[in-house]
Amino acid sequence: MRAKLALLGFFFLVTQARAAAKISDIKVQLDGERVLATFTLQDAFDHRFSERVDSGLPTSIYYQIELDRDRKRWWDQKLEDVTLEVVALYDAVARSYTVHYKLNDKLIESKTVRDRKALEEAMTIIDRLPVFEVERLPKEGRALIKIQAETGSRTLLSFIPVAIKTDWKESPKFRAPRQP
Amino acid sequence: MPLREKLLHHRKNYRLIFGGLGALLLLFAALFYMAQRGRDLPSALVTNKMLLFVLWYVNVVLILIILFVLLRNLIKLLVERRHRVLGSTFKFKLVLTYVGLSLIPVLLLFAIASELLRGSIDRWFSTPVAPVLERGNAVAQALYDQIGATNVRDASRVLREIHGLDLRQAQQRPRLNRKMGELLPELHLDLLAVYEGRELVNAMVNPQTGIRDLPEPDLSFLEEAAKRGEATTAGGAPGTKGSLLLAAVASPAGSASLPPVPTTEAEREKVRPPVIVIVGKLLDPVLAAQRETLVQDYQAYRQLEVQKDDLRASHMLLFFMVTLLILLASSWTGLYLARRVTVPIQALAEGTRRISSGDLSHRVDVEADDELGVLVDSFNRMTQELESNKELLERSNRELTTSNERLAAERALIAAVLQNVAAGVVSIDSEGRIFTCNGAALDMLRQSEEEVVGRGVDEAWGDRERSRLAAVVHEAGQGAPEETAAKEVHLTLGGEWKTFEVKVTALRDAAGAAQGRVLVIEDLTELIKAQQLAAWNEAARRIAHEIKNPLTPIRLAAERLLRKHRVGDPGLGQAIEEGVEIIVREVVTLQGMVDEFSRYARMPRPRPAPVDLGRLVGETIHLYQNVKPGVDVAAEVDSQLSTVWIDGEQVKRALINLLDNAVEATDAPGRVRVSAHASNGHLEIQVIDTGRGISPAAKEKLFLPYYSTKGRGTGLGLAIVHRIVTDHQGSIRVEDNAPQGTVFTVELPMG
Repeated sequence: MRAKLALLGFFFLVTQARAAAKISDIKVQLDGERVLATFTLQDAFDHRFSERVDSGLPTSIYYQIELDRDRKRWWDQKLEDVTLEVVALYDAVARSYTVHYKLNDKLIESKTVRDRKALEEAMTIIDRLPVFEVERLPKEGRALIKIQAETGSRTLLSFIPVAIKTDWKESPKFRAPRQP
Repeated sequence: MPLREKLLHHRKNYRLIFGGLGALLLLFAALFYMAQRGRDLPSALVTNKMLLFVLWYVNVVLILIILFVLLRNLIKLLVERRHRVLGSTFKFKLVLTYVGLSLIPVLLLFAIASELLRGSIDRWFSTPVAPVLERGNAVAQALYDQIGATNVRDASRVLREIHGLDLRQAQQRPRLNRKMGELLPELHLDLLAVYEGRELVNAMVNPQTGIRDLPEPDLSFLEEAAKRGEATTAGGAPGTKGSLLLAAVASPAGSASLPPVPTTEAEREKVRPPVIVIVGKLLDPVLAAQRETLVQDYQAYRQLEVQKDDLRASHMLLFFMVTLLILLASSWTGLYLARRVTVPIQALAEGTRRISSGDLSHRVDVEADDELGVLVDSFNRMTQELESNKELLERSNRELTTSNERLAAERALIAAVLQNVAAGVVSIDSEGRIFTCNGAALDMLRQSEEEVVGRGVDEAWGDRERSRLAAVVHEAGQGAPEETAAKEVHLTLGGEWKTFEVKVTALRDAAGAAQGRVLVIEDLTELIKAQQLAAWNEAARRIAHEIKNPLTPIRLAAERLLRKHRVGDPGLGQAIEEGVEIIVREVVTLQGMVDEFSRYARMPRPRPAPVDLGRLVGETIHLYQNVKPGVDVAAEVDSQLSTVWIDGEQVKRALINLLDNAVEATDAPGRVRVSAHASNGHLEIQVIDTGRGISPAAKEKLFLPYYSTKGRGTGLGLAIVHRIVTDHQGSIRVEDNAPQGTVFTVELPMG
């Protein structure tokens, strides 16, 4: 009990557990006035995550996407951030997965897939997602996009909830298009 | 504080306490209600991640609050203990006991309850429900899989049957229709539809099923079939309660996505989407419902199992929260109670400190309605009384100071008077210690102030000579308190013979209580010398007179003889006889006178011996009885005075002298009485007559030698009496007898 109490304070500070999953293949494209992000979340579907999805519980992956201005000798400056929530809901009767995409809590797309592989792809491969406006990019200097995924939560010492998050992953740095 | 404010304050205090208790009760009721409702809530909500985090952060806030409350008060208590604030130890112990008493059982309860909860939740999922549900779900899914496989096979046959038909040609439609019409009953299908891409080409429904309308398949279903070649799904059938199991087969397969339905002929010619055949079989509603229930139950169980950790966490967090609330309540209550006890004590201690530093206006302003309140009220009353007493005291002190100043001035005046009076004045306190001694007394007694003041009379006057003075004080102390004793004391100081008259007077306050004595000492030495000189002058005059008296007859007789002889008178012989007789008689008189003087001058020192006083007085009285007709001479001797130590002959002579005078001074009818008795350790002999009395002027010279009021005699009688008495270390005084006559009192020391 004493050890638990001692650890309690420690784990309070460390409430963010590191996930085995990781963000990869971040690509940024400028499409007219929009900044499109493409990325992949690898190794998100572990046993615990799959069990939760197949149980029919709404299972979400939160992608925290930040637009930063690159600074060489200091921390990058955050310009804007968005949250993409990908929610999967399994219908055991119909044996299909419904996947909803919410950008800043606003539903932007829904799709139904019928197998696990399709579901995994639907939840972890984000292709050309319009995340920011080009006008938000810094006029001078370079910008970059940072992405972190939260794949759920687990409990420490049976009662301390801990969010499972990936490390932040940075995109290649890019510049805003020159104004004519 | 006025009573009304006090009551309002108390009411507010009680309101706060009851409000806090009510809020706590409501909180526990809400928690209990939530716990009860938790059973009915969807498990997803109970184990919602947000709820878990909210509960956790509530707990963290509670932990922080408790830590803050405890640490803050702990630090305060430690600081108070270090500064030795009164009541801090008691407060520390009370808080520690209260928190400890609540902490230990609550934490134990939490540990046991959490372990029980953990075990219970684990046991829920260790029951053989999971395999049963899993197998039931597998059976239900197998049925669907089997029907789905049949459907795929039937759809493939239909696809084969219609292979070669150009579905875009209108003339081919009847043939397609006929073919589908044949296959629908043959394959026992309830639904048969042919799609070209997303576009429906033809569809048929078994009319016996009651399906009112063609169910619209999901685009994803068509796309999956186009991509993978086949797909199965289940869905509702419009107009029926059953479940429609659908299977789709596409040819050719492998399309990534289905193009939209073309709107122009050019587009239609350009795009050739795959042909998709969909067959459907309506499942019995009861069977479908049972299967659906079975699947849902299994899913519900899986959800619970998945959320097992979250469920446990949420319950434990609720437990933890309740534990923390109890801890918070108990620690706060402990602190509150400790404060209620120690605050009045500290206020009282502070009040005591302020009072001791002289601030009597300080009042303890602490509200308490228990015994401490009584103590605080008593303290405030006490300080109020102290303050009023102090004011009284200060006023009295001022008055006393004024009075003292006045008294000091008076005392200085009296001291100045005493210092300047010729008589020596010595004051002695009730314990026999000399309080003051003026300069005249010091000069008379040849002593310094340091030798006398502050010492007892025996210590100050301890030497042989001055001890007689101390004896006078002691004798006066043995007498009646209100009396003033006076005595003549002879001291040899510095080789000089001194005679003092010492008067001892009792000092009494207004209530009559003895405060001591005052000695007034008068130096009679010079006066006595003067009196003696005067007495000797008188004696010389009297002696001359007495001598002259016999000399005159002697001279006359002698001259007569001489004349007769010269003339040859024949009567010379007779004249000689007569003349010689006269001369001899006068010479005898002169001889007697000279003898008397000689005796007075040669009076021996008394030789005390045991004497029967009654007998001595009786013999003396006997000499004067019947001497003077009409004058009664009697004696009263105390029977207890059988034997006294005196010189009997000398005392008898003194008595004879006194009786001689008394009888002579008393005319018939008259009375002379001699009384003897003991008084204050002295033998007191009184000779009382009812005679003519003595004038005040005569009284002063009465005991001087050769002083006589009778016009005859030597005038040595009373001088001899005085000499005998003083030689016995006694005293003699003369007073008027009431209503007539004189009283001579002789005091002799007994033993």
